Amino acid sequence: MRIASLSFRYGRRDPWVLSDADLVLDPGDVVEITGPNGTGKSTLLRLVAGLLRPVRGRVEDRPEVVGYAPERFPADQPFTVAAYLRHMAAVRRVSTESIGRWSERLGMDHLLGQRLPDLSKGSAHKVGLAQALLAEPGLLVLDEPFAGLDAATRAELPRIIGEVGARGGIVVVSDHQGDLRGLPGLRRCEVRDRAVRELEPAEEAGETAMTVLEVEVAASRAAELAERLRAEGCGVRVAREAAR
Amino acid sequence: MTAVIALARFRIAGYVASHRALQPLIALLALLAVLYATAVPAGQEIAATADSAAMLVPVLAWTARGLLDTEPDEQRAVALSALGPRELVSGLLAAFASLLVPAAIAEAVLLVRLAGSPTLTVVLAGVWLHLLSAVAGLALGALTSRPILPSPAVSTITLILGYLSMLVLSMAGARWLTVPVMAWMHDAHHGVLLSGLPLLTVQSLLWPAIGLAAYTWLRRTRP
Repeated sequence: MRIASLSFRYGRRDPWVLSDADLVLDPGDVVEITGPNGTGKSTLLRLVAGLLRPVRGRVEDRPEVVGYAPERFPADQPFTVAAYLRHMAAVRRVSTESIGRWSERLGMDHLLGQRLPDLSKGSAHKVGLAQALLAEPGLLVLDEPFAGLDAATRAELPRIIGEVGARGGIVVVSDHQGDLRGLPGLRRCEVRDRAVRELEPAEEAGETAMTVLEVEVAASRAAELAERLRAEGCGVRVAREAAR
Repeated sequence: MTAVIALARFRIAGYVASHRALQPLIALLALLAVLYATAVPAGQEIAATADSAAMLVPVLAWTARGLLDTEPDEQRAVALSALGPRELVSGLLAAFASLLVPAAIAEAVLLVRLAGSPTLTVVLAGVWLHLLSAVAGLALGALTSRPILPSPAVSTITLILGYLSMLVLSMAGARWLTVPVMAWMHDAHHGVLLSGLPLLTVQSLLWPAIGLAAYTWLRRTRP
């Protein structure tokens, strides 16, 4: 998939959000889009997903099945979680079995009977992720997917993203919190000054210098914390139980 | 079931479960109460059916707009990611299906309030006029829906002005310049509706077709 000389603005009198941007996405690529607030990350994601038309330039060879999870899931809809996902499965032409699978992986099977407007922000966000994953997308576009998620799902999501990449899918994620940094082969692109720039690993040298951090934690929480730190890209070794 | 129909079903389910479906329905019931306070005298069947179809256009446009606007913008983005441009087809399909209900209610109440018994031709012509009214309502509703006109005030005013322009232009006799709703009534009251129905159908479908083409074109840059 290729984004070629792409320029975009919302209206004729509006300033350009992106100008002459290029990006090549190969099957299996996981790309993290970074950049300050308001520079056009969400706009780029919408262009990649095909929700917006480039004013100039092209988006070529977009995979057929696109999964898109918006930054804020639209919870103001008169459905239960299960009914909503059943409708989305029908729209996606996939069996309803996938609802159970993704609900379990995203830790939301207990929410299936709840109405969408009653969900907390994080729970609603999970519904948004589930609908995007239902159809085994060839292109998965996630706008700030880690915002508001609980620790277990925060740890699970990078694994899910890695699996989509491993089966040849393209994943494009905007992320402020760096939850994907531990993912091997992660590409990072920055949106700044209307351009999309690939960040070279050298530019992350500050992050690659390793140090050892000793953490004391209640034994009952050790496994969960280790999981979370691994998800953030840290090497974790559980040394021993501290003698108290 | 195709993806387009599945999405249309989802949207209709959302519309029915929201309070929005009630608003045009209440307007319709008020309109019917006024129209049929007294029974329609024998011999006036075709005229009454044309009046009903002509007056129904804004109610049907309101229904179509309500259906298209019920879905939050981000949910429409999700639908667009799943279906691509077919999302638009599904929206129009759902809107058309939703406005068949008020059109059918209006037609049914009309038939109940007839003093005489109408011929099959008159009944079929009535159904046909209500379908023309539904297509006009679909186009007007789609063109005033949120992706095209984000401001609710502008959208409501445009919908009303759109209908008024149909009335005024067709009252002035400009049958090709608008949906000739006044011509439906005029021809029916003068007993020439049935003989001129093929031409009237072409005139009545021309502007809705242009309107729906414009909607499709505008939606390319207004997701």
